[in-house]
Amino acid sequence: MQRGKSTKSSLGLDGEALQNRHTLLLLIAPSAIVTAVIALIPVLLLVRMSVSQISRFGKIGDYIGLANFIRLAEDPALPDIALRTGLWTVSVVAGTILIALPTALILNRPFFGRGLAQFLILAPWAISVTSMAVVWRRALGDEAGLVNRLASTIGFSDPSITWLGSTSLSFSFEILIAILVSVPFSTVIFLAGLSSIPTDLDDAARLAGAGAIGKLKYLTLPLLRPFIWVVLIFNVAYVTNSFPIIWILTQGGPAHRTDILITYLYKLAFTFGRLGEAAALSLVMLCGLGVVTVLMLRMIERSDYA
Amino acid sequence: MMRLVRTLFTLALISFPLGISGAWAADIRFTAGEYSGFTRPFLERAARDFEALHPGTRIQIEVIPWDSYLQKLTTDISGGDQPDLAIVPTMWVSDLASDRLLEPLDALATPEFKSKFIPAFLVPATVDGHLLGLPAAASARAMVVNTDLLSRAGAPEPKTWESLKEAARLVAALPDTYGFGLPGKEVEVDTYFYYALWAFGGEILKDGRSGLAAPEAIRAATAYMSLINDKATEPAPTAHSREDVFKLFKEGRIGIIFTYPMLIPQLKEEAPKLHYAVMPFPVETKPVTLGVTDVLTLSSSSKNKQVAWEFAQFLYGDKYRAEFDRAEGLLPVTVSEAASSYYKDNPDIAAFAAGLAYARFFPTVKGWPEISDITVRALQTMYLGQRTPTEAMTDAARQIDEVLARP
Repeated sequence: MQRGKSTKSSLGLDGEALQNRHTLLLLIAPSAIVTAVIALIPVLLLVRMSVSQISRFGKIGDYIGLANFIRLAEDPALPDIALRTGLWTVSVVAGTILIALPTALILNRPFFGRGLAQFLILAPWAISVTSMAVVWRRALGDEAGLVNRLASTIGFSDPSITWLGSTSLSFSFEILIAILVSVPFSTVIFLAGLSSIPTDLDDAARLAGAGAIGKLKYLTLPLLRPFIWVVLIFNVAYVTNSFPIIWILTQGGPAHRTDILITYLYKLAFTFGRLGEAAALSLVMLCGLGVVTVLMLRMIERSDYA
Repeated sequence: MMRLVRTLFTLALISFPLGISGAWAADIRFTAGEYSGFTRPFLERAARDFEALHPGTRIQIEVIPWDSYLQKLTTDISGGDQPDLAIVPTMWVSDLASDRLLEPLDALATPEFKSKFIPAFLVPATVDGHLLGLPAAASARAMVVNTDLLSRAGAPEPKTWESLKEAARLVAALPDTYGFGLPGKEVEVDTYFYYALWAFGGEILKDGRSGLAAPEAIRAATAYMSLINDKATEPAPTAHSREDVFKLFKEGRIGIIFTYPMLIPQLKEEAPKLHYAVMPFPVETKPVTLGVTDVLTLSSSSKNKQVAWEFAQFLYGDKYRAEFDRAEGLLPVTVSEAASSYYKDNPDIAAFAAGLAYARFFPTVKGWPEISDITVRALQTMYLGQRTPTEAMTDAARQIDEVLARP
């Protein structure tokens, strides 16, 4: 990856370069305008909402400074929910990488039925997360659910465990489902990364006497590092803001014990009618994710030059 | 050539907005919560009938699940796109009114039109002396029992809370059945508690403070916990929503549930072989039930208020009103409908309607959704066995008092 500034200052540009630069700016302009409209305007609206008095039905009133942020900071439910969001993100992202990476390594090797295996691993990507969550809700629902029927078939004595009734069980299942949902996309990225590793390097390592573990440790993983970072960045942003699985399975309950920031944000806005605080929380989350993403992007650059 | 292009371009620019606005003299958007699968087809049909009588008018119907209705309405309003007409829960009316989003109907509704309604139902939609909506739906809650299960278990008729507990225990002792359906997940977890709270003589709010720490509230919470501890409810109420409990009842797996009248048409259609009876809630100190009303409101920002108002009146024609109330299992809001033999002779509906005489309503206070959520959390921690009834109720009351004290 290139880094650093151009050796020529803008003052030193010759005519052709200047024309190229203008063409470039012209080409970028539509995307820049669309980005500004799509991304910047909602953020500016959010900023306005977060510093204004807002009625339950979204009417924006007087400017109230940081009062919404202060009220948000005083919310007793928030520290627990923020911690749980961290646990959710770390567990889902780590679980996803731990499953997707070996899966990609296996799928990258030639074996009988590889095409079918690739299809089976990647097909769930085509199914919407919401549909998956609805299916799992039914599967875990009650004694007639698929999981309990399976448990009954293989002879468990109590087949009527209510998987979504207790706090720890339901949150664990939600993490597990989120991992399963995230694996196909991450596997695709890893497969793309593996296909970019030149085969002659692999041959050279084999000729140099490197075993499978050695090749993985000193060749494959270092070359795959930028792709691991890409998977990390995408998954951290996506998983932190992942709403449907938790909402459909438990709506953040029982007793808010499976709420993460994004589900609590929805409740703040549309259940409690605290739209100002919801806007403030949106901005806090946006900034938090922005900082984490920038930090991870810097890590990619470092890993490139390592 | 350029001249021709310019002329054509100008003509196109002029004709485009004319074409859009000229097609419909009036464009009305109507939103409603979804009572059942009947709601949308019924409203669509009524709209088409109205359009046929009023050429040039287009009524756009939007039927939204109740779960996401508040989100939809909030998004519409904050985006400056409030629907012309909307059926909303009564508890939203005061908030909508304080934002001046509702058109007062005093000048529009003639005394003759107002006299169509049962007077009591006009009261919840009246704020500061102004009529801000028309009663669109009314219901009261009651108890429904599976008479086959109760008779097989030799259970007593659950007329009191003590006999309900006894009946639920006996039904639960039958194979593969549960005694009492207690939803502990998603909507109305707190509502199911208020039935007991009121029955035991408690109040949700008393003298501007929470009534949950009162001995009556703790007795009501203890009654539910004893049902859970005796395994007389479905296992783990926190895993079952209201709809899950109703589904089990339709399957003939639950002996006793508390429900709304809209369940009756569903029982007739989805469980025709189920033998059931509608009864008043068990009595502890006095008979109680919850009354719920929804109102039809007119937007103050509507560009076609007169046509919207005409459509609103059209929906209250006897033919449409009777069809809507009966198919949705709602109680009548008009005098003529209440007088019809359907409501007098139908024992199911009559049992629900009887509760209107002593029905209680949710308090209309600022912060109600949070108060409701605090109660739900307290009940869920109690149902999970993490708190005793006294701990859960006392803690909830403290949090509710904080919400009530907020400026």
